[in-house]
Amino acid sequence: MIKEKNNLNPTENQTPAEIVKRAKKSSDFKEIQKNVSGVQIFILYFTSLIDHKTMEHVFLPYINECEKKTGQAFDINQFKNSLPLEDIIRTKEATEIEEKIHQGYVLIQFENNLDDFLLVNVNNLSKGIRESNETENEFNVIGPKLGFVESLDTNILLLRTKVKSPLLTTEEIVMGTLSKTRVMIVYLDGITNEQHIENVKKRLSEIDFDIIFDTSALVQLIKGNSYTPFPLYFSSERLDRISYSLTSGQVVIFSDGSPYAVSGPTTIFDFFLSSEDYYYNWIIGSFFRFTRILAIIFSIFSSAIYVAVMTFHYEVVPADLLGPLIESRANVPFPPLLEVLFLEMTIELLREAGARLPTKVGQTLGIVGGIVIGQAAVMAALTSNILLIIVALAALASFTTPAIVMSNTIRILRFPFIIMSSFLGGLGIMIGFAVLLCHLFKLKSFDTPYMVPLHPFRSNSLADSIIRSPYDKLNKRPDFLRPKDKIKYSPKESNKKKEDINDE
Amino acid sequence: MNVKVEKQFQVSAFFTFFLIHSSQTGVGILNFQSQVIKHAEQDAWISLIITWAATHIILYIIFKLLGGGTNDLVAVHQYCFGKAIGSIMSVMALVYFWLASLTVLRAYIEVIQIWVYPSIKTWQLCIVFLLTFYYIISSGFRSLTGFSFWGVILPAFLFFLIYFPLMHANYIYLLPAFSHSLSELFFSSKGYALLFLGFEWILMYYPFLKSSNNRDISKWAYLGNIYTLIVYLIITLISFLYFNQEVLQHLPWPTLMMVKIVKFSFLERFEYVFIFIWLLVIISPICISLWACTRIVKRTFSIPPKATLLFLLIAEMIVSVYLQEFKSVDYLVNFTSNVGIGFVYVYLPLLLIIKWIKNHFMKNRLNKI
Repeated sequence: MIKEKNNLNPTENQTPAEIVKRAKKSSDFKEIQKNVSGVQIFILYFTSLIDHKTMEHVFLPYINECEKKTGQAFDINQFKNSLPLEDIIRTKEATEIEEKIHQGYVLIQFENNLDDFLLVNVNNLSKGIRESNETENEFNVIGPKLGFVESLDTNILLLRTKVKSPLLTTEEIVMGTLSKTRVMIVYLDGITNEQHIENVKKRLSEIDFDIIFDTSALVQLIKGNSYTPFPLYFSSERLDRISYSLTSGQVVIFSDGSPYAVSGPTTIFDFFLSSEDYYYNWIIGSFFRFTRILAIIFSIFSSAIYVAVMTFHYEVVPADLLGPLIESRANVPFPPLLEVLFLEMTIELLREAGARLPTKVGQTLGIVGGIVIGQAAVMAALTSNILLIIVALAALASFTTPAIVMSNTIRILRFPFIIMSSFLGGLGIMIGFAVLLCHLFKLKSFDTPYMVPLHPFRSNSLADSIIRSPYDKLNKRPDFLRPKDKIKYSPKESNKKKEDINDE
Repeated sequence: MNVKVEKQFQVSAFFTFFLIHSSQTGVGILNFQSQVIKHAEQDAWISLIITWAATHIILYIIFKLLGGGTNDLVAVHQYCFGKAIGSIMSVMALVYFWLASLTVLRAYIEVIQIWVYPSIKTWQLCIVFLLTFYYIISSGFRSLTGFSFWGVILPAFLFFLIYFPLMHANYIYLLPAFSHSLSELFFSSKGYALLFLGFEWILMYYPFLKSSNNRDISKWAYLGNIYTLIVYLIITLISFLYFNQEVLQHLPWPTLMMVKIVKFSFLERFEYVFIFIWLLVIISPICISLWACTRIVKRTFSIPPKATLLFLLIAEMIVSVYLQEFKSVDYLVNFTSNVGIGFVYVYLPLLLIIKWIKNHFMKNRLNKI
């Protein structure tokens, strides 16, 4: 059902005079009247949006000077050209006027020519925006700590200092009926496939929304398939990570007021790569990445396997191991499903409470929650020791994912598996796995399959997925992004032959 | 008459390998030994090679059928028999495809009931499976290809398990070699035929394979068939080396029996894990055949595939619940195997001959005009 657009929208088809009239209702809208060369001019602006320094030291003194000169006849063009400020627009458009005065432009109206307006940029948009741009949520041990901030211009500046290529192209669109947020599409012209760029632009232009709070909210609006717990677009606050996806041929979306940039089309593997993998030697990097993927598999399946084994298949546990398992569960009065759900929910509570609390209190909470509650639950025979180990390890494992959006998905995925395993045991887990695989096969991010290079299988794109190959093997852009220039850089073939023993 | 499929639904020719191989491997691999050892005894591996060669020829025939303007079974039927009779023939093929899917499903349910959950009811398992399969099949051929690929790659690690029975292998059991007559060998190859059935579904999904030429697809298809041969050869030889013939003739599930001895310090009764992982293997034969059924219906009567799929799945469920006894499941397997052998090894060559005759007449008629 498509709702009819409200025809009585007050901001449509209005004259500049009406705009000024409406703006005057706000208490922070000011009007100054001056007389320049015998012409009365009105200086109108939102005092909360402008830079008072520029206003007081440059703009007003200049106007005062003009007031003193009474000899010449007034001419708008000359007035415009001689203003000592860089961004001056002469316009008759009502919509442009309305847009600009809300961005901190000063509107100048002339008594002798009521249709013509000058807009002078004296805004100060960095006002009230945090200075520090250290990454806080996606932490790395080594590597740059630079992250994005809430100001769009700062973010683009950061990106341009990292990628000083003439190919870096930005396109701006304004979105949000109330917020009028500037959204920027960034790509490498001549490398990124145009289909992706067109796709992003098309999907963004289709959005009708009131306030764009964050890029991650924007992403949910452009999602093709909203019935999935998986994030279909990669969002990061790290400058190096976003520059990397940009250079591999993805499109990046920034929006004003959000420290997160979103890149797409993404594949599921993008969420498991940390920029740190590239700062270590490739052997160590690959090992870490492999550990991470194992951790995710463990995190999804461990509690479900516990439930399955405890409920149906205790035969698969060897006798020596079964002893301790039975002993730890001997006093627990619940079926395994309830026991697991109870502990999983406890961990979820801890995590949620930890995320809401200030950092310093959060640490205390971790100790109280983790040690005290866990120990007490075992002592009270509500859960078994072994389950406590499994659930805590699984929770730990789920935090190894570098992208927080993916780690949330993994935590949620465990519950269907636990429930399936309590119904059908191991078969339930496999059925859940088959359905999950099918779901993943169906997903698409900007019309690119989500599971690539695993499905459709691309052996040449595996170099940077489960393992992180050495840099001289990573010189190609991934095929599934269909970049127009496939080669990133060409490593020189080393002339050195393989050394034999004591080869001189 | 060629069917055109949009490029976004197609998969590359390379996947033919996995599609062919995965639709051949089903539940048969768990219990084929008692069937094949009856006649050729320790020489049954020769029969396996005979069956493989026959399958290879049939694949060649299939590619001949699919060439020259008719690129799926429905088109071939309509070309050879005209609209009305062609449709009837296509429906017959549909019944066989549906039977094949039903057989794999019912046999797997039986394995689960006997090996893992003795008390579970058939209808309960049916409901769970059918919901799963409905979801998988309705997500389209590309997803099915994904399953056929990962249904081969992921369970591949199970091959390492042959280490355990090999430790107890007795090489004398394979001797004396080449001591059976041709007729005995052929009787055993008939037992193997069920294991190779499934590749004929390429008659329906052929238009979904992306390729510049026919050669590319057929090359991968032949390779897939060879891989199937290798897998079966390994399992046949291992089970012949591990069990003696007397036991093998009466053992219901020799492959699972071999898995039973696998033991790790943290895991026993490995056959549970094996049976569960086997779900990934049987998804392909069940789903691809049902998908082919919906495709036949769509091509001949233009009924929406989802409605057909629902109907076919419910029919499978009713029949599965109806077949309660061990014997009736056995009967179903034998029946399907006979129908399949008839369809693949008899009907398809005949169809090619009919196509040739028709081609001949068409040419003559064109010449007269």
